[in-house]
Amino acid sequence: MTGPFASAIIVVSLVLALWAGVLLAVNRPPNRALWGALGVLELLLVTFLIGGVVQMVGRDTDFARLEFVLYLLGCAAIVPLAGWWVKDEKSRAAAAVLVVVLLVLPVMIVRVQQVWAGSGA
Amino acid sequence: MPEPSNPPVRRTNAGFGRVLVVVYGIFALAATARSVVQITTRFDEAPVAYVLSAFAAAVYIVATVALARGDRTSRGVARIAITIELVGVLVVGTASLLVPDEFPSASVWSTFGSGYVFIPLVLPFVGLWWLRRTE
Repeated sequence: MTGPFASAIIVVSLVLALWAGVLLAVNRPPNRALWGALGVLELLLVTFLIGGVVQMVGRDTDFARLEFVLYLLGCAAIVPLAGWWVKDEKSRAAAAVLVVVLLVLPVMIVRVQQVWAGSGA
Repeated sequence: MPEPSNPPVRRTNAGFGRVLVVVYGIFALAATARSVVQITTRFDEAPVAYVLSAFAAAVYIVATVALARGDRTSRGVARIAITIELVGVLVVGTASLLVPDEFPSASVWSTFGSGYVFIPLVLPFVGLWWLRRTE
């Protein structure tokens, strides 16, 4: 549950956060290219969710399963929810919302990994 | 440019409000998920803290929805919810320092939200400021 895939998601999320941050700085709402990139990120997150659940089912040792699944669901839900929330926002606030979400997402991914590793509660 | 006959109340969900609602929404999700885990898997460990945790989640949900709706009635609801949030984070934050045994695993408001880089302590002030600002 750790490893390259989770790291890739974190990197993509941070790069997109930077992208949205630039749009915020130049006072623009998100453009189509950014929405497309967010779609790719969401595909990664859905894959992460499915892969995580599959690995969880195949794991015998005890860990916080409910917490794990909730974090995975949260990771998969947050990007579409944010997209829906700002889809009609024409100001740079839309870009600001994406910056917030794309910075929170890596923290959530790290938490997924921590729960999988059994540390923290 | 047509002038509206009645200047509308400035909405709480536009501009900076978009961002504020998202931050509230994230806390609503985080607090709800956390309290579901606490109550379903280890309620006996600290019932008081976990009930407070669920209460915090409910407050965040109400505040999020009220700020997101942004009409006149919602503004009143938001003000009440955010005031409760402010009192909650101060009381629970203080209590978690005075009687740490009752708060074994951090909830959103314990130690003034230190587990969430103290955003829970700052958020109600920002929320109340925003309500005033958009009045």
